[in-house]
Amino acid sequence: MNDKAYYGRFGGQYVSESLMNVLAGIDEEFDKAITDSEFNKRLDMLLKDYVGRETPLYFASRLSEKYGTKIYLKREDLCHTGAHKINNVLGQILLAERMGKTKVIAETGAGQHGVAAATGAALLGMECRVYMGEEDVKRQAPNVLRMEMLGAKVVPVHSGSNTLKDATNEAIRVWAKDAEDTFYIIGSAIGPYPYPKMVKYFQSVISKESKRQFFEREKRLPDVVIACVGGGSNSIGMFADFIPDKGVELIGVEAAGKGIDTMEHAASIERGEVGVLHGTRSLLLQDGFGQIQLAHSISAGLDYPGVGPEHAYLYESGRAKYVGITDDEAMEGLRELTRLEGIIPAIESAHAVAYAMKKAKEMTADQSMIICLSGRGDKDLATITDYFAGRGYLN
Amino acid sequence: MNRIEERMKALSEKSEKAFITYVTAGLPDYDKTAELVHIQEKAGVDVIELGVAFSDPIADGPVIQDASYRALLAGADIEKTFDLVKRVRGEGAELPVILMLYTNTIYHYGIKEFLSRASEVGVDGLIVPDMPFEEQAEIRKALGEGGYDIILIQLVSPVSKARVPGILEDARGFVYCVSAMGVTGQAGEYHKNIADYLASVKSVSKIPVMMGFGITSPSDVAPFIGSIDGCIVGTHFIKLLEEEGYAAAAAEKYCSDFKKGLVKLS
Repeated sequence: MNDKAYYGRFGGQYVSESLMNVLAGIDEEFDKAITDSEFNKRLDMLLKDYVGRETPLYFASRLSEKYGTKIYLKREDLCHTGAHKINNVLGQILLAERMGKTKVIAETGAGQHGVAAATGAALLGMECRVYMGEEDVKRQAPNVLRMEMLGAKVVPVHSGSNTLKDATNEAIRVWAKDAEDTFYIIGSAIGPYPYPKMVKYFQSVISKESKRQFFEREKRLPDVVIACVGGGSNSIGMFADFIPDKGVELIGVEAAGKGIDTMEHAASIERGEVGVLHGTRSLLLQDGFGQIQLAHSISAGLDYPGVGPEHAYLYESGRAKYVGITDDEAMEGLRELTRLEGIIPAIESAHAVAYAMKKAKEMTADQSMIICLSGRGDKDLATITDYFAGRGYLN
Repeated sequence: MNRIEERMKALSEKSEKAFITYVTAGLPDYDKTAELVHIQEKAGVDVIELGVAFSDPIADGPVIQDASYRALLAGADIEKTFDLVKRVRGEGAELPVILMLYTNTIYHYGIKEFLSRASEVGVDGLIVPDMPFEEQAEIRKALGEGGYDIILIQLVSPVSKARVPGILEDARGFVYCVSAMGVTGQAGEYHKNIADYLASVKSVSKIPVMMGFGITSPSDVAPFIGSIDGCIVGTHFIKLLEEEGYAAAAAEKYCSDFKKGLVKLS
């Protein structure tokens, strides 16, 4: 067993033998890259001039006033392509180029990671294939068009449940076959080691900036940091630099869908059991025989039956707390932020906002929290409109 | 002695190549799977792999994925598969039986509980395509402590290279040489360095070398026959069973012809 592949009892490399040398090669090159000043210079330049970092840490004054505590928003929604996903894609695609790969593949659910991967591939002149469940291809049509416009090939996956879980299976299969010239850009904090480590590293820019920005304003650390959790990429990035600061309460918000006691939710931490999926051992929604269950959420980006292994560890060790927000609560949070601050968040991020509204009730006026606003809501307009018109939504 | 090792020894004494098949347990139903086990034994199949359906089979191509999916819809589960093995043993099946399954099925069941039940019903080996050597410590420990006579079959791939000696160091039964990168199926798409790869595994292996992935007939393995001790057919056999509506006669003929073809090559 490779100890560095584990976070407590979670993590590992549960993949075909044919990928083991591939993973070892990526791990070795990643370690070299992040200590190489040329690599860092190029990544920093792209993050600044291309993505638009640093992103603002915005003091949400009307929201703060209404809820009686200081609420700051980390504006990842202002990143190029509309979400935090691009931070990680640029890191991984520069690594792919450094390793001499000419092709990249990616999986996507809502399409945000797919769009980011297609964008990175266009920027570096690489060939890109994005695997997407057939159902998601239908319900996220605008993102499919964006990816195609960017020159990527969107491959609809028709196996199993036809969603993100199955798209990820297919991407892993294709990778196992084509790894000799193809790099797999995983978008979430999941997958076999070293992927969870790499995703955390490239997304930790979120907490590095936040910590400094917050200190400049408040001359202290925040009391609470909140982020939504599907697979857990924005949240692990938002938590990363605060993990050693024990006084900062870290809260991950899972999608409780139609309610955590129904069969329709995506609360892998609160309702999951230990298991292995997509190359890693973590907490997963499973049935009595260990078959992976379908997740449900109004937000396609949180609609995943597992969670990154480090989150499972942070939960088990008690360092972070994980809570659930239902579809209805998330949509209420979305409306509240939109009307009070003029910011339409992605439905994923609205889960974090909705929990922040609850959490604020137990906080005082001189306490403060940072919410990671991981993405913007443009992609969700059809779902949002249908929801508020009482027409339900496609899921 | 474990049934797999016994069979390998007997084949080696006759200088005969092994024929191993894969079928998804519970497809179309368990009665049919039981019938297929007996038919195959009669037709000369040396070892049978029973596939345990899983919701997320990342090491399988479209044919086995689909078989797995339909088996689940038909109600297949690990408990019924254990019962099936117990039943065919009770009906006199002597051939070695290997379960091919994904890690999660074992972990969810509980490693010790799983091995205990597998051993009790007469399972001889396990192939776990998403549990590479580095992740085997727990199951190896449980196998050792429980004293179960079950072999964890090791897989190697065309790109395993320097990993091969370590993987094979205390491997038992046979080594499963994956002939192509990626997933099961993919007929005719062997890795470009297949001949050198098989020869290099053969040169370091103390146990029989089996070639698998994408094989349809004895002629597919003929070019490499000097480097292997047998082969495994899964996807093609499932396709054939589907096409023939699981007719016993068709399964028997295919297996019998294949084994005879292999004996000729031996």
